[in-house]
Amino acid sequence: MTDTILPYLTLGAILFCIGLYSALTKKNAVIVLLSIELMLNAVNLNLVAFSKFGVVPSLQGQIFSLFNITVAASEVAVGIAILIALYRNRGTSNVDDMNELRK
Amino acid sequence: MLGNIADFFSSGTNVMFFLFALFAIGGAIFMISFTKVVSMVVAVAVTFLSLAGLYVLLNAEFLATVQVLIYAGAVSILMIFGIMMTRHQGEEPETKRPWFTSLLWVGILGVFGILFYAFQNVTFPQTQRRPPEDSTMEIGKLLFNEHVIPFELMSILLTVAFIGAIVLAKREGE
Amino acid sequence: MESYAQFAWLIPLFPLIAFLVLLAAGRQWKEAGAYVGIVATLASFIVALLVFVERLGDGAENYTWNGLEWLKLGDYSLAMGYEINNLNALMLLVVSLVSLLVNLYSKGYMQGDERISVFFSYVALFTFAMLGVVMSENILQLYIFWELVGLGSFLLIGFWYFKPEAKAAAKKAFVMTRIGDVGLFLGILLLFWHMPGHALDFTSIHNAFAEGKISGGTATWIALLIFVGAVGKSGQFPLHTWLPDAMEGPTPISALIHAATMVAAGVYLVARTFDIFQASPAALDTVAYIGGFTAIFAATIGVAQNDIKRVLAYSTVSQLGYMMLALGVSATISAGMFHLFTHAFFKALLFLAAGSVIHAVHTQDIQQMGGLSAKMKITTWTFAIGALALSGIPPFSGFWSKDAILSEAYNSGHYGLFAVGLIAAFFTAFYMSRLFFLVFTGKPRGEHHAHAHESPAVMTVPLVILAVLAVVAGFVMTPFNGWFGDWLTGHAAEEHGSGLVMLLSTVVGLLGIGLGYVMYVKGSFSPETIPNGAPWLHQLVYRKYYIDELYAAVIVKPVKAIGNVLTLFDRYVVDGVVRLCAGVVQSLGRVGTRMQSGQVQTYGLVMLLGLVVLMLAFVGRRFWNVW
Repeated sequence: MTDTILPYLTLGAILFCIGLYSALTKKNAVIVLLSIELMLNAVNLNLVAFSKFGVVPSLQGQIFSLFNITVAASEVAVGIAILIALYRNRGTSNVDDMNELRK
Repeated sequence: MLGNIADFFSSGTNVMFFLFALFAIGGAIFMISFTKVVSMVVAVAVTFLSLAGLYVLLNAEFLATVQVLIYAGAVSILMIFGIMMTRHQGEEPETKRPWFTSLLWVGILGVFGILFYAFQNVTFPQTQRRPPEDSTMEIGKLLFNEHVIPFELMSILLTVAFIGAIVLAKREGE
Repeated sequence: MESYAQFAWLIPLFPLIAFLVLLAAGRQWKEAGAYVGIVATLASFIVALLVFVERLGDGAENYTWNGLEWLKLGDYSLAMGYEINNLNALMLLVVSLVSLLVNLYSKGYMQGDERISVFFSYVALFTFAMLGVVMSENILQLYIFWELVGLGSFLLIGFWYFKPEAKAAAKKAFVMTRIGDVGLFLGILLLFWHMPGHALDFTSIHNAFAEGKISGGTATWIALLIFVGAVGKSGQFPLHTWLPDAMEGPTPISALIHAATMVAAGVYLVARTFDIFQASPAALDTVAYIGGFTAIFAATIGVAQNDIKRVLAYSTVSQLGYMMLALGVSATISAGMFHLFTHAFFKALLFLAAGSVIHAVHTQDIQQMGGLSAKMKITTWTFAIGALALSGIPPFSGFWSKDAILSEAYNSGHYGLFAVGLIAAFFTAFYMSRLFFLVFTGKPRGEHHAHAHESPAVMTVPLVILAVLAVVAGFVMTPFNGWFGDWLTGHAAEEHGSGLVMLLSTVVGLLGIGLGYVMYVKGSFSPETIPNGAPWLHQLVYRKYYIDELYAAVIVKPVKAIGNVLTLFDRYVVDGVVRLCAGVVQSLGRVGTRMQSGQVQTYGLVMLLGLVVLMLAFVGRRFWNVW
């Protein structure tokens, strides 16, 4: 069974959907960032699975997911920094309170 | 059917895959259902670790190590730092939003359904790659020969990112 | 020499100009507006007199001018214009003369009223419309002016609009005559449908019906529908209740409109379309019976009324019944038109004299008057002449015209109608003498008697002129010299001068006066006998046979109920749909507002849903081959 690509892809899809649900539902901004990380991880799993079982199996998938990890890490660092600055300004880290986009 | 399950569990890779998948999904689900924020981070860390195990099953050892180092190590700790710095109750408040939740379920199930449908209909040739003995070296070779430019760009990106993070998070007026 | 008939279009033009001038500049001119009205009607009268005199000569042909092409539908065209024949010329003369006298009288009567110019402008408008009715060349044009006459009447009845009774009376008059007008319009439509070539002018109508092209049931329907219009305007039963209420208007216009002109328009209409009626004996009988019934019906009501104007109003209704009776039983229009001619003068005289009395004692209740003959000589004498004329006492004009009607009824075999006419004549004489004796003789009963005085000359001169006319106008058609009838109808009529009829009508008239004298002057037969002895009878007659109450319950209430139902329908269904539309748009807007909450997670959800839709579109491509 695990010598096909299907279970890995399915697992990736499940993790992605769970991450999506939690990103759109949680109130704490840190948790939202965390769920975005989860989604990125699911993508990585996808990439690596394709690198082994895909049409042209090669190491490209793993290289790509390396880069993905890098970008994700830097993004989360900057995100947390912004969040901290925002918290200092507003006194709250609740996503619902940040609705300036309305105007 | 019991025969199928027995067959499934006869192969070692299958068992490992099953365990790792269980932990990954379990971690994700627990993340959603916990109320304390720190518990959520711990659950996600469990997911990251099981994903690392899955990478090993997929012959991506280097990637598995990187995954453990970066995600289960740095990112989770960073999240906990973030929680600490934003200093709130430590609990996640419950809000009832029926419209939102139902539409969200519709969307999520829609995405998953389409993806699953696509997966069912895909056929890939069963060619298996001979796994390299030292994937790390192979990756290194590829990285510095063919993908050197993206590699350098990544380093620039990281530099910019951490400078930016420092600037943003600096306390003003000090 | 050109005939004066060519200039006949000037006759209605002068009052129209007066109307427009007074409309524009009346407010500044105030009292001087009266002169505009007087001058305009004087000019009309002069031209009308010239036209009439010309018509008196033999061999004068009917003059028609229909040069203004008004309506053109395909190859059918309807023209506007005017026609002068003997009937028209007579009516023009009567209308312009009475209008002139009323204008003159009103200068004195309406003195001090701040809207006097408005009054004269309305009178000018009314005169214009009435002259238009008389001069119209086709029946549709007549209808237009007919409606305008109704409008003028409405404006004038409700002149003192701050009185709620006046407003109600004006509305009532307009609505009731409108009911009649619907009948007239339906008659016109039927006529249009059946006339050869769809021609609507009176010459064609005369030719078509005289030659028998349209006969039988159609002619009856047309005649009856036209008669409905006449019933409305002339106040015949059952559309008579507006006329007594119309007495809320100023007395000069009661004289002009509700004695001499507008109410005569109904009789004129029947006379003008007499060929249609002659083609249908059933219609003629209907006209006669309704006229006869109205005559006696209104006469009995007039006996019990206490308002001087109301007595005269019911008298008008009764006399109009006589005119319709005449038209219904005769072979020609001469008897009816003769009575219209004399009635215009003596009824206008009576109303103007009553106005003079009201002007002096400031009340209309005859029980509050009395003994005025000492203070107001001219009014007393002219009123007496008018009353005698109305009662049909020889040699006054009313005697000759009423005699003509009764002779026609007797000679044509309608003995029942003849008897009805006689009884109504008795009642007429009685209520007129009751009125005269209560107002002018005896001891004064009201408190205004002390400062009552004769009216100014501008009011008494018209009275005198009308009184003279009331005496001499009758001699144009007597059983010994039927000139009027011959001239009017164009051919010699067979005139049976019946001595029996003359004797009977005189005796009946004298009886009526005698009874009034005995009851009200001598006092030997108390007027309270019937009210005390048979109070239900008195109440029935005094309350006008409860017809007003009947109409209110049977017609007005259901119509108002329907109106309420429709209001509810309008408010909840029609408005409901409009509010529904607005509500739908509003709720859509509110949904849109909630999407723009400013929260990232909401936007994320929307993006997700959009992504799902896109993915579905792409995946579905393989199924539907639509792309």
